[in-house]
Amino acid sequence: MIGLAFVAFVVCCVLPVAYLLVTTLGAAGSGYVVVALDSRQQGLLLNTALLGIGTALLATTIGAPLGIVLARVPLRRRNVVRLLAGAPVLLPPYIVALAWVNLGWDWLSEWTYSLPAAIVVLSLVLYPLSMLATEVALRRIDGRLEEAGLIVASPGRVLRGITLPLVAPSVVAAALIIFVLAVSEFGVPGLLRVRVYTTEVFTAFAALYDFSRAIALALPLLVLCVVVAAVAAALLGDRLVTTRRSVAFSPVAFHAWRRPAFVGVALVIGMALALPLLILVREALGVRSLDSATGSIDAIVNSLLLASVGATLIVTIAVCLGYAQARASRGVRLAAQVLLVVLFAVPSTIVGVGLIGVWNRPAPFGLLYGTDAMLLLAYLARFVPVATLILAAATQTVSVSQEEASAVSGVGWLRTVRGIVLPQLRVGVAGAWVVAFVLAFGELGTSILVAPPGEATLPIRIYTLIANTPSSNVAMLALLQSAVIFLPVAAFGAVVSMREAR
Amino acid sequence: MKAAAITLTDVTKRFGSHVALDSVSLEVLPGTAAVVLGPSGCGKTTMLRVIAGLEVPDSGQVLLDGTTVSAAGRTHVPPHRRQLGFVFQDLALWPHLTVRQNLDFVLGSTGLSRPEQERRAHDALALVRIEELAGRYPHQLSGGEQQRVALARAIVPEPRVLLLDEPLSSLDAELRADLRSELARLQRALSLTTVYVTHDRKDAAVLADCVIEMRAGRVLAVHCDRSRRHDPA
Repeated sequence: MIGLAFVAFVVCCVLPVAYLLVTTLGAAGSGYVVVALDSRQQGLLLNTALLGIGTALLATTIGAPLGIVLARVPLRRRNVVRLLAGAPVLLPPYIVALAWVNLGWDWLSEWTYSLPAAIVVLSLVLYPLSMLATEVALRRIDGRLEEAGLIVASPGRVLRGITLPLVAPSVVAAALIIFVLAVSEFGVPGLLRVRVYTTEVFTAFAALYDFSRAIALALPLLVLCVVVAAVAAALLGDRLVTTRRSVAFSPVAFHAWRRPAFVGVALVIGMALALPLLILVREALGVRSLDSATGSIDAIVNSLLLASVGATLIVTIAVCLGYAQARASRGVRLAAQVLLVVLFAVPSTIVGVGLIGVWNRPAPFGLLYGTDAMLLLAYLARFVPVATLILAAATQTVSVSQEEASAVSGVGWLRTVRGIVLPQLRVGVAGAWVVAFVLAFGELGTSILVAPPGEATLPIRIYTLIANTPSSNVAMLALLQSAVIFLPVAAFGAVVSMREAR
Repeated sequence: MKAAAITLTDVTKRFGSHVALDSVSLEVLPGTAAVVLGPSGCGKTTMLRVIAGLEVPDSGQVLLDGTTVSAAGRTHVPPHRRQLGFVFQDLALWPHLTVRQNLDFVLGSTGLSRPEQERRAHDALALVRIEELAGRYPHQLSGGEQQRVALARAIVPEPRVLLLDEPLSSLDAELRADLRSELARLQRALSLTTVYVTHDRKDAAVLADCVIEMRAGRVLAVHCDRSRRHDPA
């Protein structure tokens, strides 16, 4: 079973990227040289770097203090605050960009379609990654280390001199991952008319049908993402994913900060979650005709079906790979982790180009090309890595000695996994399924390249309607998409809370 | 008559329905070593944490040198202003700081001049005989060396009271005996008011001017006799 999962992983996730690397490095001919020397490249590189660095800095500036607040300030209903503050990361970034475009504040009109606007939008979507990484890192600190500081220093000094240096690696790693996600993003720069590598790859392939140019443009971005993601994964080590919140032992609690912290958190939630949704609601209220909505029913059904099937396939493969990773030796485990983070970091449009390169050929590979299977392959390529990381972390919480006890009692491996390990992974599997579903449902950059002619998912439909449909109709579809995304997450969160309460 | 260095008056501390300290009253005189003896879960560590200000008593009072530092549900003096030294059971050495930096962090809160901080750090390291380890990180030290660093860090600000929570529990018997004698020597040399929590009677035999026996959150008996202390070696 693990062998089959590994084969599926190699075919679906590794092959497209490997194909691109081999093709690009092998074709170091005039096409690539021309592109490399192209003066447009310098502008692209600058824009892409600024987008990544600006987003990483701004998202960390917003998210890290929020993480400190969640870990160290005794807020009321902290779980609800965490859920609301973390919710923006569930919104597809292009939906937030859509809200930004429809903001309607005249004094901002010059900035609507600009690089700073893209930075702001992406930061408001991605800051929860920094927030959660900081909070988790703080909760993992041995409280005794801070208590030892409190004996001799004020809480503020302990925070600065003991606590923050210990969480710095996690904060930096989160910033690097945000950088990678920002430079990999297609929908936001596309919508806000910012020229970056991902939009150029899309234009080169989808508009100009210049496959060589698309591949040539893909390489610098691929290398950048791979290097940065590898550094981030190595920095985090075993702390990359945690599935269990530590016991709340936080001796450094800033009670005096409660009110200002609450105001700050409310402000961020307002800007990042409430404002975009309210803008979309305001726009959607102006709908005069439901034609575009009714005309999108196929896309909606398609998205739901494909995301559900995709999430199920993703989790099936990931549970096997995650188990193998969790039970491997430390060196293999960390190497696998780096590989998985790197694969997740590959930009969506690049994955799309890679998938087309692999599957757009004569049978047998070509049988799948031009069908909905390509969308499923897109979801697998993009999201098996992150689901594997989640399930590997979940499996690590199941002690090896439990399996050993089963083995010495005469129970075979398959029965042990089915009867001992998997039942303890129920919550992890459900969580991974929800994450995979949410990501697949909102996926745009790869889907838009590989979707068969005449077929669309809801994100593709929204993106293509933006140019020639009243904003009210697009806003309505975007709200519908947001609702579909939040519902399973809210349901999962409610179930987990009920279990914990019991 | 000189005020007691530490006074607990009817101190009670609950964790949910569990009563960790049940109307505990005791005094520790200045310059003496009190050893709190009792089985696991009897409230020894909680008592130490209440004295340090890391836990707030639900009722009763805690006084240091006659000044109220905690009373029922309220902290009058926060931990970092109580002028204490604390050696934790798991030592709690800061992993990202070297031995010397662990001490410097403590001295940074004293408000002393730089030369005075240097002197104190040097003296503390010399007192516990680890001058040559100043540049190392905690993970590079043996168990016994880490123990000495924890002790140096606790005494470097010249506290008025030293609290030790089963500091030798993780060491082997031979090392334990060595460090026990070392602690006794330091306590006498510095005339430091010390409260030492342990479940090992040998610690009491070597260290104690007074032995406080606890069980189930209560003080059962207090035996004070300075002549009881002897060096088992």
